[in-house]
Amino acid sequence: MVSLGVSAHSAQRLSVERSRRVLMSAEHSSSLFDRRIIVVTGKGGTGKTTVSAALGLAAAQQGLSTLIVEVGAFEQIPTLITGQRENPVGYRGRALRPRLRTMRIEPFAALAEYLGLQIGSQRLVERALRNRSLSQFLNGAPGWRELITLGKVWQLEQMQRSDGGPRYDLIILDAPATGHGLTFLDVPQVARAAVRSGPLARNAQRVEALIRDPERTHILPVSLAEELPVQETSELVERLRDKLKLQPDRIVVNAVAAPVPCSDPAELEKSLRSLSSPLPLRHLPQPGPLADAVAHLQARHHLNQGYLDQIADRTGLPLVVLPLLSQGVNGPNDLEILSAPWLERLRTAGAEPTGDCTE
Amino acid sequence: MRTVQTLDKILQQRIVVCVGTGGVGKTTLAAALALEASRRGQRAVVVTIDPARRLAGALGLQGLSAEPQSLPESTRAELGIGTTGALSAMMLDTQATFDGLVKKFTAEATTRKRILENPIYQHVSTTLAGSSEYAAMEIVFELLESSEFDLIVLDTPPAQNAVDFLDAPNRLLEFIESRLVRSLIQPALAAGRKGFRWLESPTRRMLDLLEGLVGIGFLRDLSEFLLAFESMADGFADRARRVRETLLGPDCAFLLITGASRQTAQNAVSFLDHLETQRIPLAGLLVNRMRLWPQGAPPGADHPPDPQDVKILSEALQAIHPTPKATDLANSAWAVASQYNAWVNQDEENVEPLRHRAKDRGLFFRCLSERDSDVHDAAGLRNLSDELFDSNLQDRRPS
Repeated sequence: MVSLGVSAHSAQRLSVERSRRVLMSAEHSSSLFDRRIIVVTGKGGTGKTTVSAALGLAAAQQGLSTLIVEVGAFEQIPTLITGQRENPVGYRGRALRPRLRTMRIEPFAALAEYLGLQIGSQRLVERALRNRSLSQFLNGAPGWRELITLGKVWQLEQMQRSDGGPRYDLIILDAPATGHGLTFLDVPQVARAAVRSGPLARNAQRVEALIRDPERTHILPVSLAEELPVQETSELVERLRDKLKLQPDRIVVNAVAAPVPCSDPAELEKSLRSLSSPLPLRHLPQPGPLADAVAHLQARHHLNQGYLDQIADRTGLPLVVLPLLSQGVNGPNDLEILSAPWLERLRTAGAEPTGDCTE
Repeated sequence: MRTVQTLDKILQQRIVVCVGTGGVGKTTLAAALALEASRRGQRAVVVTIDPARRLAGALGLQGLSAEPQSLPESTRAELGIGTTGALSAMMLDTQATFDGLVKKFTAEATTRKRILENPIYQHVSTTLAGSSEYAAMEIVFELLESSEFDLIVLDTPPAQNAVDFLDAPNRLLEFIESRLVRSLIQPALAAGRKGFRWLESPTRRMLDLLEGLVGIGFLRDLSEFLLAFESMADGFADRARRVRETLLGPDCAFLLITGASRQTAQNAVSFLDHLETQRIPLAGLLVNRMRLWPQGAPPGADHPPDPQDVKILSEALQAIHPTPKATDLANSAWAVASQYNAWVNQDEENVEPLRHRAKDRGLFFRCLSERDSDVHDAAGLRNLSDELFDSNLQDRRPS
């Protein structure tokens, strides 16, 4: 990709370094990697998948045997991690790096597996699932996809190596986008209340116990520092606490714009606006558009900072702030920028914003 | 296949359906489209999926509700809506829509009460796969019937493909009408397992399987719910079919709204593929929140840094600042330009496949610049609508 020069990259690096210092000076909390499961959740478009991939990479690098689980129809994690077009890994999954595996939980495959275990005959189950009447029923029936997916996660959590240790030290679940009705995480509770008895009720209970267990499971909401995501994330946290008794201990705020790479953006903008155009510039925009660019970058930065304060106030939770990468997230190198140091160190609610650009 | 090739023509449709993944500003753009129609003298309504409080504020409303609300006079003036045009806004409320349907299709008060109070109805009516999509279609049906509006702009639930939206009502109907559900409705079920005997064997096996998993108590609750619900199924089916016909007919246009980030743009490509395999005609694409150079492209921004440029800028700045400061500012200007340009190039690279596809298929393609802030007042919404329909800005690109 062509760019104006090397300075774009170094400017970004500079802002990354700067934010990192702020983060490191902030309060530390327990590691995200001290539990068995991280459920990455949040509104659509906030970058849950990117965060899941970055977390997986970081965990594997720390020596943990890690599994990333996707649930959407289109797989994205493998391509994010290797930076190349990958063939679908599907329900069977595939190891992409040492200690790092990904899979996609396909509800029908998980259902077939589950019923096979319940009934004892995989053949009978496969025949049953081809039945048109049952598939019409399943296409419309609510909740079972979520329940079966979480059930599979429970089973993966229980899996053991031959020496008795867990097969996976850490399972990262890239959960579906939260909506306005029931969320993914509500389903076990509702199912248990509705079904009351039988194997399904017992399964729902086990799954519910797993996601509610603060020793085993992290619920990690991902937001953007923008109006609707902040609104929805705050409501999500409230609902998790009140209704499901789940206690997230931090929020990831993704794609936060870096400060304008200069010491006094306001003065730069003002000075540029006072110049008379056109100047005989060859490769630099004229002062007018340049001033607009300065103003725009500054405005986006301020907007993000305002929403960071808002989400911290509304939830009372520490924030993990991830930078907006100008080059996008295209592979392992970009993911590494987003990985370990960012996810381990917290920007506390009252911490100095990363917004000043005095250097 | 019909094609609507300009955004102006879109406004002459009866319905515009905005589809796309979440988080791309679909709701606000839907409102901006409806606004433009009303400014051109039409009676338009925008139906949102989210409560979208700030959008409601921008429209001068306290909040959005399940009924269309027209804008207060002062906001109409602020938004530039003349005397002939009208704009209303409403929000999709799945529970309210379903309750409304139950009331409409169950003549008998006791049946109605039994459905509305059934715990499974309360849990399930809003979570059945496709129920919010079904509710959206139901709203469209009512709005079409009422002839109160010339144009209906419909925001849709975030989905990975538009087919979800069109097919969800069918899946819901198939569910209600499936043999398995029908058999659950049989009053004989109340008698327990023996009730299944008369059924043909594959269905009976299914029921045995279900009963083994969830227990007979749950099946009985479900049966009662479905029995009550069944009385409405014909009304349901008929309406769903008619709305689907309208949506795929000549009076409706689908618009794909996307963002410029890499993942969003990639998702949009998959979305397009899906629409094509399902033969759902698309009118055009809007790429929202794209980083573009203000006032067009800088000359030769792709070139390596040119010390000469920094010098020229520095000299110009010396008219207002002492030399060291002027040099500093010129260097800063260069750094900002570099960063901004990297973003502009990145977004352009991300949307290129979409642009290419649109051109190839004869769809309109429109990029909207990322704004300094979210739309939160009437002026912001008006600006967005202006930019959307500004013919000078058609298909901008940082050449």
